[in-house]
Amino acid sequence: MKAYVNGISYYLPSTILDNDQLSREFPEWSVDKIAQKTGIYKRHISEKNEFSSDMGLKVIEKLLAEFNINKAEINYLLFCTQSPDYFLPTTACVLQEKAGLNKTCGAIDFNLGCSGFIYGLGLAKGLVETGQAKNVLLVTAETYSKFIHKKDKSNRTIFGDGAAATLITSEPNKEHFSASIGNFAYGTDGSGYDKLIIKNSGINHQCHKSADCLDEVGNFVSNDDFLFMDGKEIFNFTAFEVPPLINRVLKSNELTLEKVSVYIFHQANEYMLDFVRKRCQIPKENFYINLSDTGNTVSSTIPIALRRYIDEKKTRIGERILLAGFGVGLSLGGVILEVE
Amino acid sequence: MEPTKFIENLKKQYIDTEDFKLNMSSEFRQIGSYDSLTGMTIIVMIKDEYNVDITDSEYKAQKTIKDLYELIHSQLAP
Repeated sequence: MKAYVNGISYYLPSTILDNDQLSREFPEWSVDKIAQKTGIYKRHISEKNEFSSDMGLKVIEKLLAEFNINKAEINYLLFCTQSPDYFLPTTACVLQEKAGLNKTCGAIDFNLGCSGFIYGLGLAKGLVETGQAKNVLLVTAETYSKFIHKKDKSNRTIFGDGAAATLITSEPNKEHFSASIGNFAYGTDGSGYDKLIIKNSGINHQCHKSADCLDEVGNFVSNDDFLFMDGKEIFNFTAFEVPPLINRVLKSNELTLEKVSVYIFHQANEYMLDFVRKRCQIPKENFYINLSDTGNTVSSTIPIALRRYIDEKKTRIGERILLAGFGVGLSLGGVILEVE
Repeated sequence: MEPTKFIENLKKQYIDTEDFKLNMSSEFRQIGSYDSLTGMTIIVMIKDEYNVDITDSEYKAQKTIKDLYELIHSQLAP
């Protein structure tokens, strides 16, 4: 039995933070430079009282409507988030009720960031191919903006909020885009766990409220209550670990680089993506970048970019798409989709 | 290690390569689009092209392209 990706929808909150606003807040931050380097012009920010389950609900409703899916037929909900509504219960259970999914439906959360969509596809494929579920709903939803310190201009520039919903099923759909899920390659390097982290976010760090750490000229560097990213280490991880990952994905699918028509990577920032593309020796015309109006939406960047690619280009039967995610964990994964 | 090739490799890490010329006395941080991301790619390029690992503090101490060139040259495998 094979598993198929049969529909993707995404949701972006209505509030927008654009580069002009960031430049006004941080006059030393040039709008042109931000856009030129990151490829990001604006990002969407969730409302104060809008949480991952709310965004999850909106995107599920959108998917059901767009692809005319009967929600009673959903057997399993996989919810990928690092900003759950609660420590417990699982947000997927909250969402089952909110979305009105069947009570015979399985529902779990899993905590991954930029590689989350790939791992979600892997889990969904396992559920479908072992006959545990026929229709799996994979939802990625993240509200990193709530974790980012107001003075942290770097992370505020890069990250945006967003959610995506993907239907994975045991049968291909003849009416819409449909693609079989091929073989995966995964990777983990937990030694870098503290390179992208919110230290005071779990039971391990129940400490006092942290103070801001500043550099020698008084610029904000970090605060353990908020998101911290060691950009250089994340960059090195990506630069050195992604090329071998791509080779492993190709090898496990018995493919060579040129047999893949498009490569869609986690949309981190344009400069880094272009750098990694060159190291992977992927031609520019086979590499899809689309993040100018969303920023880095963590686990939703790949499904958003994939949906936009499908909408923009006319995919043809047999076309192969390589997806790869990498980041917080440190974690990475890749897979091949083949258009049906 | 050929100086012209080194300058060429370095220049590839800038996104606005049409707008300027580099020579050995150029202060590479003061040029065009240089920022911390450019610095990261320069360090990776040095590892890729010359198989030399330079530390952050070593990198930060270099001012001109010549400084950087000489640092790498001194660490090249015999």
